Amino acid sequence: MISAFKRQDNWTLIGLFITLLLMIALFSWQSEFFFTTRNFINIGQAISIRGLIAIGLTVVMIAGGLDLSMAAVAAVAGMVTASLITLEVNSVLVGVLGVAAAGVLGAFNALLIVKFRINPIIATLGTLLFYRGLAFVSTGGDNIVIGVNAWSELGRGSWLGAPITVWLFLAVVVLGMCFMRFTVAGNHLYAVGGNSEACRNVGIRVDRLRGWTYVAQACLAGLAGLMLTSQSGTALPSALNGAELDIIAAVLLGGIALSGGRGGLLGTLLGLLIIGVVQNGLILLQVQIYWQSVVRGAILIIAVTLDSLRRGGGYR
Amino acid sequence: MIAMSNVSKAFGQVQALLDVSLNLYPGEVVGLLGDNGAGKSTLIKILSGNYHADQGTFEYQGRPVTINHPADAQALGIATVYQDLALVETRSVAHNIYLGREPRRYGFFMDRRKMEKDATGMLEGLNIRLPSQKVDVELLSGGQRQAVALSRAIAMGGNILLLDEPTAALGVEQTQQVHHLITSMSRQGKAVVVITHDLSDILEITDRIAVLRQGELWAYVPSSDTTTNEIIGWITGVAPPHVRNGAGQ
Repeated sequence: MISAFKRQDNWTLIGLFITLLLMIALFSWQSEFFFTTRNFINIGQAISIRGLIAIGLTVVMIAGGLDLSMAAVAAVAGMVTASLITLEVNSVLVGVLGVAAAGVLGAFNALLIVKFRINPIIATLGTLLFYRGLAFVSTGGDNIVIGVNAWSELGRGSWLGAPITVWLFLAVVVLGMCFMRFTVAGNHLYAVGGNSEACRNVGIRVDRLRGWTYVAQACLAGLAGLMLTSQSGTALPSALNGAELDIIAAVLLGGIALSGGRGGLLGTLLGLLIIGVVQNGLILLQVQIYWQSVVRGAILIIAVTLDSLRRGGGYR
Repeated sequence: MIAMSNVSKAFGQVQALLDVSLNLYPGEVVGLLGDNGAGKSTLIKILSGNYHADQGTFEYQGRPVTINHPADAQALGIATVYQDLALVETRSVAHNIYLGREPRRYGFFMDRRKMEKDATGMLEGLNIRLPSQKVDVELLSGGQRQAVALSRAIAMGGNILLLDEPTAALGVEQTQQVHHLITSMSRQGKAVVVITHDLSDILEITDRIAVLRQGELWAYVPSSDTTTNEIIGWITGVAPPHVRNGAGQ
């Protein structure tokens, strides 16, 4: 018994899991449409694209950083991808270039934060505005319509009965979990978030590791931008505008600390599922749409309050 | 093991260390004492390569060496355990001990099983009892944390251990534990320097006492050859300088 709870984090995961089960039970009881395969696929589809970004953010935050620019990065990647498609560039190359463009933006974030030592909140608030602006400037504010073509398969296709976006998201979650748990680098990221000075003392290359988290986060955001463009057949400069806070909320709900060093991708997955289930359930119950935000906010506040009380006051 | 001769260091107008010569021998514990600002920390930081001495020479096992960087010190097996411990609270005991030196598989993966096994062996060898090496450091007591920090210093290949106030924040029983640990490390043939303000037990756990006063080596004597009161006299400057036995050889 005791061995399972050597990490304080494990309690958070159990709490999240119970919450998720309660939500599922509640909505299944209230709506006959909820507990169906079709609906679970809907939930998966709804959380996958933002989920990709949330996974990247989780890694950044575990290493003690923060990235507010990720949704804007996704929008830029979408615009880049769509422009290349209209130029009839090879599909695979388009994908690679779209993600690479996002990676460059992530490298710029890393440069500001790691080299110029700017607080990540301020640096990525700046790049959030900057990148979002670029997305609009690139077309003078217009959308780029790519319509339905071979590319649409990525965002609309399915495999073994589930959408490709969901498979891709799950693959990233599993790969990310393995990376964070089993590799030396993943374990170092946790240590860096826990005490970066201690890591420097023992010769861990803290700055390089932190820098890579921003690049990886941006690449995942780029991938999300690609999926979204493919799914909707249109690249919008305003894509995912304002989604930053929702994504951060899901990650915090999953037990990641702003101070770093804690939590994991399983927590983020549970956080995303809880928010996805609630959103879906409220729609099925035909609750007025404005309640969505109220409920999500309440869940986040209750979760972090319980967590803080259990830890004996986490924020000091 | 390591000998420092005529080491001086000034910060602007302030002479932090003046002409200090000190030898460290394997299996010997030196208590480094002195009032605040006496130069204890400066001396430790020079030995650990964080400061560069203005003057003075170092010999390691008889051959001259330079210590300009923390990496130089590390290569000589000098490991420092700082007061603030430098542990990662959210990581396990085993990971803290091997932080930055984790056993690897295929160069990329962390060999957690080996790391935990090695940690257990290391803790047993030092006679340290913890609930488990898998537990996160944030759940440990102050004495247990100090034990983890010392274990890391040894895991890093430390043969010369510099301990900065290892018992400053500890209760009586935990202080005892750390003192036992210091004794068992010196029995393993390590050279240990302990900076401390705590004079109780100091004569029992150390082999020699070095007192710094205003940057100078004021007293340097075998622990068996002095008393607590005499040490207080040196620290406060009431007693005249007294360097016996072994200094500056």
